[in-house]
Amino acid sequence: MAPGALLLEAHREYEKCSQKADEYLREIKEQSMLGEAVRQCVEAAGHEYDSNTQKSLLRAASFGKCFLTDFSAESFVSTCRELRVLNAVRDAAVALPLTHTQFKQMTLQVLIDRLVYRQFYPLAIEICRYLKIPDYQGVSRVLKHWASCKVQQKDLSDESISRAVCMKVGDSAGVSYSDIAAKAFECGRTELAIKLLDYEARSGEQVPLLLKMKRSQLALSKAVESGDTDLVYTVVSYLKNEMNRGDFFMTLRNQPVALSLYRQFCKLQEQETLKDLYNQDDDHQELANYYVTASYREKRLESRLSLLQTAVDEFNKAKNEFAAKATEEEMKLLRFQRKLDDEKGAGLLGLSLQATMEALLALGLQKQAEQLYRDFRVPDKRYWWLKLKSLAEKEEWEELEKFSKSKKSPIGYLAFVEVCMKSNNKYEAKKYVTKVTPEQRVKAHLAVSDLEGAADAAIERRSESEMGAVLSRCSDSDRLLIDRLNRAKASAAKK
Amino acid sequence: MAAHLSYGRVNLNILREAARKELREFLDKCAGSKAIVWDEYLTGPFGLIAQYSLLKEHEVEKMFTLKSGRLPPADVKNIIFFVRPRLELMDIIAENVFSEDKIHSSRDFHILFVPRRSMLCEQRLKEQGVLGSFINIDEYILDLIPYDGDLLSMEYESAFRECYLENDQTSLYHTAKGLMTLQALYGTIPQIYGKGECARHVANMMLRMKREFAGSQNQILPVFDTLLLLDRNVDLLTPLATQLTYEGLIDEIYGINNGYVKLPPEKFAQKKQGEASKDLPTEAKKLQLNSAEELYAEIRDKNFNAVGAALSKKAKIISAAFEERHNAKTVGEIKQFVSQLPHMQAARSSLANHTSIAELIKDITTSEAFFDNLTVEQEFMTGVDTDKVNTYIEDCIAQKDPLIKILRLVCMQSVCNNGLKQKVFDYYKREILQTYGYEHILTLSNLEKAGLLKPQTGSRNNYPTIRKTLKLWMEDANEQNPNDISYVYSGYAPLSIRLTQVLARPGWRSIEEVLKMLPGPHFEERQQLPAGLHKKRQQGENRTTLVFFLGGVTYAEIAALRFLSQMEDSGMEYIIATTKLVNGTTWIKSIMDRPEAQAP
Repeated sequence: MAPGALLLEAHREYEKCSQKADEYLREIKEQSMLGEAVRQCVEAAGHEYDSNTQKSLLRAASFGKCFLTDFSAESFVSTCRELRVLNAVRDAAVALPLTHTQFKQMTLQVLIDRLVYRQFYPLAIEICRYLKIPDYQGVSRVLKHWASCKVQQKDLSDESISRAVCMKVGDSAGVSYSDIAAKAFECGRTELAIKLLDYEARSGEQVPLLLKMKRSQLALSKAVESGDTDLVYTVVSYLKNEMNRGDFFMTLRNQPVALSLYRQFCKLQEQETLKDLYNQDDDHQELANYYVTASYREKRLESRLSLLQTAVDEFNKAKNEFAAKATEEEMKLLRFQRKLDDEKGAGLLGLSLQATMEALLALGLQKQAEQLYRDFRVPDKRYWWLKLKSLAEKEEWEELEKFSKSKKSPIGYLAFVEVCMKSNNKYEAKKYVTKVTPEQRVKAHLAVSDLEGAADAAIERRSESEMGAVLSRCSDSDRLLIDRLNRAKASAAKK
Repeated sequence: MAAHLSYGRVNLNILREAARKELREFLDKCAGSKAIVWDEYLTGPFGLIAQYSLLKEHEVEKMFTLKSGRLPPADVKNIIFFVRPRLELMDIIAENVFSEDKIHSSRDFHILFVPRRSMLCEQRLKEQGVLGSFINIDEYILDLIPYDGDLLSMEYESAFRECYLENDQTSLYHTAKGLMTLQALYGTIPQIYGKGECARHVANMMLRMKREFAGSQNQILPVFDTLLLLDRNVDLLTPLATQLTYEGLIDEIYGINNGYVKLPPEKFAQKKQGEASKDLPTEAKKLQLNSAEELYAEIRDKNFNAVGAALSKKAKIISAAFEERHNAKTVGEIKQFVSQLPHMQAARSSLANHTSIAELIKDITTSEAFFDNLTVEQEFMTGVDTDKVNTYIEDCIAQKDPLIKILRLVCMQSVCNNGLKQKVFDYYKREILQTYGYEHILTLSNLEKAGLLKPQTGSRNNYPTIRKTLKLWMEDANEQNPNDISYVYSGYAPLSIRLTQVLARPGWRSIEEVLKMLPGPHFEERQQLPAGLHKKRQQGENRTTLVFFLGGVTYAEIAALRFLSQMEDSGMEYIIATTKLVNGTTWIKSIMDRPEAQAP
């Protein structure tokens, strides 16, 4: 007798409370066949159709297991589970008389597929849950099939279908509402598809289908909602091809985010359209900026000027007086530059006002520089700096002196000292030291390396910090000076 | 190689490893020898993820820069384009592919979009008739790149401009995606705070994305306790100010790019014994700057005035260590000494480098020009004479100092005065246009749009209130042994960091008034954690906050946050993330408009 059969017998005797149970068991154990016996019972149960026989075989196996110390219960447990599933599908209502071997061969996945195919959804879901299959392969997949089938039921209203789907599917991971909606759309139920898409959490998934269904407005707002700018671009470029220009612009107007993205696109790709967009919004400031930018791309001066003139008009419409005036100035400057370029070949076009004046002074065109200074109301300070530097550069020291005396310098005279020193002309620099205000006199003396003078000025002003500054420039050979400064410093500190 | 990323509170090396793994997987998808054609902008950030050796291991034999025309010859099976999703780049790729097909027909083309593929770009390739030539079109999700153990950046240069001038929120979408990736690796961040429009938008997208993933719960124990999102336009002042930390000054003066700085070579000439330095190197000295270098980690965040002392202290320690050799008597002691030699030598060369850099910087910081500029900045920040035309600025314009310097100062005055008086405003603008050229009218218009430069409107100047409430100016900032973040600007405490500090303690409720004065909404959101993931905090264990600066962050601000992390009683550690590491100059530059070359 096979050990399994003996074990079955032993268990029967045990249930009858007969001591034979022990006898049989001992016999199996003596041959060290208990493990094999349990295995045989489990396997046999698997092949049985009758559930009562299955049960008694499994109970025998379970009984035998108790006397083993290191027996893995895995195959026992899985056989129990699988039998439960097999018994369920062998039921007359389902009528799949599968053997255990067949089942193993075809795998659980296929079994579920067959159930789904035959629309035994509840059973399929129960099986998935019972066998703890991960949602993605299990419950969610079945639900997806169920929903796809549900949306094809012609006798039900859109409302009731979408409600039913939502109730069952809820927010199960792995069920994509957009897939279900796509199915609905395929079956010609667009309204239902839109309703279903509303449940889709991932806006990215909603958009392509909405476009396919020609719900472009909705697609646009969903794309905007998602925050994914690439998606917005995609819808926008789709709309652009689908709609006439007027409608397209109107649609964008209602979606500021999409509109600004489209503007970005136009800035890079379609300058002309950009203009139309600003025009539509009456955005004169941006229009003006657009013309200014455009003017810099123009090679010919006439076209440049005419673009700038348009910019001026737009700036005026935008009530940006400053920019309008500045742009007019720019035009004035361009005209001036060309005139001089024509007359004297000065090569001024494109220079800034400051650079133009600089160039004119360098070319000795004093009068023209003065004219710009007046016409453009250049602040005195800046013009003085410019002239001072220009004269020093050309080493026109007499002119410089005359200039310094023309009126009181708005930039003071320390500037004269420093600029002369930059040109390494100490002789000229010294001329201006006395004109420097008392506050800056120490600095001026130091600039021309006149330590004595600096010390005198500092002591006169009783300024400790200035004395310190002079001291820091003294070297060891200036012993006397150092002593004098230290004394003065000490006495200044006392007071 | 990237060990310094894992020293901090949060192991950012996990992020880097994840990025490397994905790169390898993509490379292996294209079997056979490869050449990569680079969108030049990407090479810097990529260098932080993978060196050439990794690419080489995966059969990358050649690398080119993407440019129009024909591809350089290369005997490889695959040509892979690594590009940002930009239309103008698509046109170049199309050109490349067209000119290529006629010569070789057996080469396979691939595109790797960084950080995300784009339907718009693919559509463009289709229009150009080359989409079919590509075997693989893939995306490489590289949003947040680890720059240091506590620092992440997207290096998205145009983020500020796009968000505040062009209303284009692409960068914010990438930010939200990047934060989702970060949460996938480091757990859901339970608390989100924010201030500003962009912050609100990012938080909304994050919450939305989380809903989209409903069902799949993140089972990782949260590493971050809090996320703070800050708009750059909440604090426009800080980046305008000259940074006074060591690292900040290196960036201000020489510019740090993707962790590297290029320095004038003269100071770094190797002086070998007995050899006169005949030929000075002419190529810029390139140094990598990060916390992997012990000395740099120690001094980078110090006020520059404290760096000299730190360097000389270090010098003493190092020479003392070298002196040890005389005490080594036994063979064992000598052996131990020798084993430490490489480390000591590295320390010595690092010391030499930083001494040279500090000398270079000192030449500049002790100059009169630097001093005058700083004085004016500090006057503005303390509210002195912000409502009249400033003589120093006037003089600088007259001297034709660099335009960006002028813009930084003028904008600073405007911000510190909550707008300039119309007369002052127009005067500055006119001076700039007349001196630097009328084309800058577009730049000025941009600065106005960004709120950096504006005329005063009816409302009164609220900057003094903000300054007082948040203690933005500290009279006696201690540069050597700081006790407050204001040391990073020698007196000015960055507004953004004050907001961060107050949030940690005592909370934003204490500054409601000021928050209302700053632009954009402030908000708080909570993200539910799955049961069982609530952290049980050990006693004395610090909390961790991720501070995300939308629109850029400066090194001085980073230094201030590191200072807060190190404060013993702060109870908070900060990890910093941003769209771009900026300084006043790079930041202003990104907002400037340069019309195409002027007519000759």
